[in-house]
Amino acid sequence: MSTTSPSVSAIVPAEGPRQSGSRRWLQHNQHRLVLPALFLFALLIFAFSAPGFFSVDNQLNVSRQSVYLMLVALAQLIVLVGGGIDLSVGTIVALSSISASLTMSGVYQNGEGSAEWAIALGTAVALLVGGLVGLLNGIGTALLRIPSFMMTLGMSSVVFGVALYLSGGVPIYGLPQEFGQVFGYGYFLGIPSPVLVVLLAIAAVYVLLEWTRYGRHLYAIGGNPRAATLSGVRTERATIMAFVLSGVLSALSGVLLTARLGTGEASIGTTFPLESIAACVIAGAALTGGVGRTLAVVAGTFLIVMVQNGMNLMQIGAYAQTMVVGALLIFAMAFSKK
Amino acid sequence: MASLPRTHYEQADDAGRSEGSRGGIGMAPVLSMRELGKRYGAHWALRNISLDLAPGEVHVLFGENGAGKSTLISMLAGAGQPTEGVLSIGGFKGAFRSVTEARGHGVRAVFQEFSLVPNLPVADNIVLGDEATGRCGLLDKAAARREASQLIERLGFDLDARALVADLPRGKQQMVEICKAVRALPKVLILDEPTASLSTHDTQALFALLSRIKASGTAIVYITHRMEEIGVLGDVITVLRDGEMIATVPASTEESRLIELMSGRKLSDLYPQPRTELGGPRLQIEGLATEDGLVRDVSLDVREGEILGIAGLVGCGKSELGQACFGLRRRALGQIRLNGRPVSFKHPADAIAAGLWYSPPDRKRDGLALIRPALENMLVSALEFGKIKGMFLKPRAEAEASRRQSSKVEFPVSRIGESVANFSGGNQQKVMLAKSLGQDIDVYIFDEPTVGVDVGARQSIYRYLSELAASGAAIVLISSDLPELLGMSNRIAVMRSGRLAAQFQRSEFDQHKILEQFFE
Repeated sequence: MSTTSPSVSAIVPAEGPRQSGSRRWLQHNQHRLVLPALFLFALLIFAFSAPGFFSVDNQLNVSRQSVYLMLVALAQLIVLVGGGIDLSVGTIVALSSISASLTMSGVYQNGEGSAEWAIALGTAVALLVGGLVGLLNGIGTALLRIPSFMMTLGMSSVVFGVALYLSGGVPIYGLPQEFGQVFGYGYFLGIPSPVLVVLLAIAAVYVLLEWTRYGRHLYAIGGNPRAATLSGVRTERATIMAFVLSGVLSALSGVLLTARLGTGEASIGTTFPLESIAACVIAGAALTGGVGRTLAVVAGTFLIVMVQNGMNLMQIGAYAQTMVVGALLIFAMAFSKK
Repeated sequence: MASLPRTHYEQADDAGRSEGSRGGIGMAPVLSMRELGKRYGAHWALRNISLDLAPGEVHVLFGENGAGKSTLISMLAGAGQPTEGVLSIGGFKGAFRSVTEARGHGVRAVFQEFSLVPNLPVADNIVLGDEATGRCGLLDKAAARREASQLIERLGFDLDARALVADLPRGKQQMVEICKAVRALPKVLILDEPTASLSTHDTQALFALLSRIKASGTAIVYITHRMEEIGVLGDVITVLRDGEMIATVPASTEESRLIELMSGRKLSDLYPQPRTELGGPRLQIEGLATEDGLVRDVSLDVREGEILGIAGLVGCGKSELGQACFGLRRRALGQIRLNGRPVSFKHPADAIAAGLWYSPPDRKRDGLALIRPALENMLVSALEFGKIKGMFLKPRAEAEASRRQSSKVEFPVSRIGESVANFSGGNQQKVMLAKSLGQDIDVYIFDEPTVGVDVGARQSIYRYLSELAASGAAIVLISSDLPELLGMSNRIAVMRSGRLAAQFQRSEFDQHKILEQFFE
């Protein structure tokens, strides 16, 4: 049953003033307006104060920059919809980068091995490692009943440790040139190849969440896990699967980021947990589970990257940008309540 | 349905109240309500309630689940606020904005949902919010324990002040809750079905206590479904139906008249006739005992087309029996056969696949994903086990299936896309029941399917149950509502402390004889 807002908790006399229809509509729909309002606000500011913001080059830049967060935000969305949260997405990106680059440099041997094999194997190993971390997250959450918040927070530290251990804390060089040329800066059919990968990922997640039985089950679990179980949904299996998918998508982000950077880095991805949660929440996903739409999250991610890009053009420093992303998340939370 | 005329103050006031009323007549009311109402958008949860509570009077609120009793008492206790009307107590006029404010005016309530801190001992719970402090402002725990023990003794309860609330059974927790409420003698004491989980001994202690509290001039508002309590305890009865005050009548009013007032129809209209010719056994339970000991040595059969009612007090094991059949509780002994084949389910999915359905009593906690639309809730099992199953969703088939299922439970199809959270209890329950229709099921177990449901929805649910039975399913109907069981069942099994106490065929139904079996 809905609770009354504070304004009507005192007695409203029968002849007293009533809220106008439009105000009531605003109140009921404010959670839906957060994203468009923020977009409009950001566009207005950048139109006036960020030179070159609307140029084709810059917009292409924004979409290229948003690829990495987009994959992680999609990962986060899958877990959030199922009623969990994944705080290990950032260090999965890091571990993916390290494991991909170690494998690639090992196979490539500075040109003695095959570049194609190196890239294929490196990517496969990274995705496998990401999936494995997700599997552990899922087992901890679904079978050992550890709250996903704690499970993935702990796992995040473990994974980061592994990444540092494997890399010795230094960047890993020796990746085949082709890796960066194709997956970092390359174009395919006139579209930057990372953007193409992310478009495929968006389509896949969209179909998965909104057009398959698995997706429907995930929403049901996030909505009420006990009800889902009693209705015959194998909730444990579905939850584990959600974390595995999250791990694989995060690892894919790590692979693409490595291609872009040209080196394997254990220090990347640290801002991803917050930014991915922000992208989902701004887009209306509920931290309590069961709510969240793929295409809205795509827009939410785009907004965050666009804000960062605009601030770069306005020559606002990295420290201030960090503050703005945090503030955006808090702002979105405040207005996304139903 | 034949609606009876709604008359306020049905019989002459003085004629009604003279009997059994200690205070009341001529005395200024302790608390008066004037045109209280509560509205959610266009829906009235409660409308135009004007009542006076006289000192030393037990005022029984009577009505079906969903009639508005809980809404009314939550306003009196400050837990919910009216959207219309005022209440006055002492010099105060208006509405209580919080429980604390209501307490400040001497109104205390014991709700069915407890306000106890499980990890604190009984004594600390009783004094919570008004603790005695000793030197340096530190807690004086000894004083708390002393006060609590004295209070418990005075009330005549069987309760240990040092016990941890979490370790107590529900009945004892109820006593702690009552102790809290009467610690500072309130002007108005509200009790919401306080005996639902009490043993006979504690019920008697409570009644003795209530008559003492009453003698000191406290007005008592008492909600109960038990007819026998009304006669013992009540002075006046106010009947609510669908959020409106139907009548205020003396406690001596005949039971059948009360039920008519409550339901707005003759008893016979509410329940469809059960099917008379039954088929072979669908579900056979042989010597079933659960590992937790809540079900002990129960043997029962349910046949094709039969509705088997299971009755008993809260905690007698009737719910647990249903859960054990569905595989939610570990079985220690015995065997369960479904359509003649022995079964043992590890997960609800196995049970549903085999043709057994279980509908839990607490729809918000266990039954529905409230934020998701009705359609998704209805089809969640069908996607796995029904005709529309498959990897990918089939929107057209889903729309068709949900329309079919909605119409069977009389759920308004136009609202299929809305979040279940927006619905009334009745419509939520219909969505729950519709879930069971998406796949082939032979045996249905319904645990309290009409709790918190209004009369109209109740009737739809009864029709739906009897249609299921008519189509050849076997139904186990677990309910705390004895009239419902008497109206619906072919047979009633009574459970008492985990065991089967007695069984009655429809021809032997007798409310008193069945009730006797509830107690040792």
